[in-house]
Amino acid sequence: MVLFQKISQLREFVEEVIKILYYYRGRVIFSFSGVTLGILSICIIITTIDGANKKAQEIFEALGPDSIIVFGGGERQRAARMRLSTLKVSDADHLARVEGIYDMMKVYSARNVTMRYKDRNWQTQVVGSTMNYFESMSWGFQAGSVYTASDYANAEAVCVIGAKVYDELFKDENALGKTILVGKLPTKVIGVLEEKGGSTGGHIDDRVIMPLTTVTSRIVNEKRYLSMVRLKTHRDLDKTIEDVRAVLRANHGLKGNLDDDFTIRSSKDILAFVTVISGSLLLFLGTASVVALVVSGFVLANLFYLTIQERKKDIGIRRAYGATRKGILLSFLFESILITFIGGIAGILLSVILGGTFEKLFDIPMMFSFKVVVFAMLFSFLTGVLSGLKPALRASRIEPIEAIRG
Amino acid sequence: MITLRNIKKSYFVGDRELPILKGIDLHIGKGEFVVLMGVSGSGKTTLMNIIGLLDKQTEGDYDFVDTSVDGLDDERLADMRNSYIGFVFQQFFLLPYLDAIENVLIPIVYSKKDIKHPRDKAKTLLGKFGLEQRIHNKPTQLSGGEQQRVAIARALINEPELILADEPTGALDSKTGNEIMDLFRMLNEEGKTIIVVTHDPKLASFGKRLVRIEDGAISEDIAT
Repeated sequence: MVLFQKISQLREFVEEVIKILYYYRGRVIFSFSGVTLGILSICIIITTIDGANKKAQEIFEALGPDSIIVFGGGERQRAARMRLSTLKVSDADHLARVEGIYDMMKVYSARNVTMRYKDRNWQTQVVGSTMNYFESMSWGFQAGSVYTASDYANAEAVCVIGAKVYDELFKDENALGKTILVGKLPTKVIGVLEEKGGSTGGHIDDRVIMPLTTVTSRIVNEKRYLSMVRLKTHRDLDKTIEDVRAVLRANHGLKGNLDDDFTIRSSKDILAFVTVISGSLLLFLGTASVVALVVSGFVLANLFYLTIQERKKDIGIRRAYGATRKGILLSFLFESILITFIGGIAGILLSVILGGTFEKLFDIPMMFSFKVVVFAMLFSFLTGVLSGLKPALRASRIEPIEAIRG
Repeated sequence: MITLRNIKKSYFVGDRELPILKGIDLHIGKGEFVVLMGVSGSGKTTLMNIIGLLDKQTEGDYDFVDTSVDGLDDERLADMRNSYIGFVFQQFFLLPYLDAIENVLIPIVYSKKDIKHPRDKAKTLLGKFGLEQRIHNKPTQLSGGEQQRVAIARALINEPELILADEPTGALDSKTGNEIMDLFRMLNEEGKTIIVVTHDPKLASFGKRLVRIEDGAISEDIAT
């Protein structure tokens, strides 16, 4: 069936439908806003999940798929945001001998240490670490470089500063070779790190990294404990984790069903965590958006249904003047699809605006992609077709004489 | 143009058959101006609907512009209505969301004829009926007589051969009604075939032929 012979007829048809929608705008706005909300939440879901996945992938890659991290303190203490010193230097030495371990990074971090340069003060975290810290964080330098093995062995007072610390203490001044006070220790700046920033909210750039030996012997007097140890293994991750756990439990004298007083994390946990987050997000927002779309679909269908009674004469006149059943069917379908389509576009635009705000406010990474647009348009199209179909069918079945008589 | 042979139409209420038309034989040629008269319930509207291809007879044959329309499907009938018939109704039936000229253009959306510059043509028609100042008014801003003239312009835009009017003066005062009938007379003089269906005996004098329907059958068929 050829519905229109000429482009001008199609244009006339589309213009008429737009005028109809304007005429019934009071009703249209209801269905329209429902669709907008539904599509908005779909967009937010997809962008957030994509963003979280991308972020997780980045962390996973940065960490390396063969990494195991051990923190002091059990799961419960960590959950309560307590940091217990239970991880000993001697534990690390034992762990180094676990089968398959080929690399180890030891970290002791001290919080709220005051930095001074000239008249400027800045409180930050001091991370004492082995030399492989920068490589394992895949962190490059703006200027200078990492401390040497001899710096490490001799506990030299040298430091590498994060981008945030550089900004606070030096502004645009050259920092290399300058001496700052770390706590009470005059320390030479030998490197400035590149800014990582991004979704971490800048926390990561607010730190000073020094040789572990310097921190534990000259800044804090802490020779027994570590905050964190990172291991790399070329064996199976799960098996290595089992061994690591066994070594630590033995060292800490934990028997039977006593809880671990340490926490082991691997890159797998991070991915699992993201999966859980995405899953719950999908569940809540997904339900919300489906409900919004279904409700707006029903509202649309019902309002349409009611309108048909009122528009019987309209239909009758069009039929008398040559509209076929199919023509009526298509024009009603087109109306509902137009509503949901515009609703969908509004939802997408809104999600772009809100998404940006979310990103800034809540530190949620958003990945806006072409996929989102396709999904959203598909969903709004489907809503339009499904809710418009029944009313449109009914409209097309109205006999012209029935309509005109009424 | 129109040939009806023994047309019967019945409605069924439960098992009961209600005959509305009881065998109509009627021929209307090109260029005629027929007033189809009958009281309410006589079957005149049903007859008009059948002539206008809006309804189908239960029995009998109907030839419209040399085509038997008895077995035609929805699409073909819609096509024939669009091409050959311009409808005018008692209640005007203008679409409320369109202005005068857009209402006139409705048949064009469905037209398969190649009407040149339909918008100019609609303007000319409205102008001819004294509505040049009303082109962009919505139906609610028009008087009854003006609305009916817009409806007649709509009936003419697609250049049909037949104008089929159902009680076109029924919703108008008698002076305006007469003006509308004069308009039909003018259109008939320009060559259009006109059928006006009415119960109002005063309209008989406007046509050239009077066909009276009584109780589902033709009781009188005279030239006037």
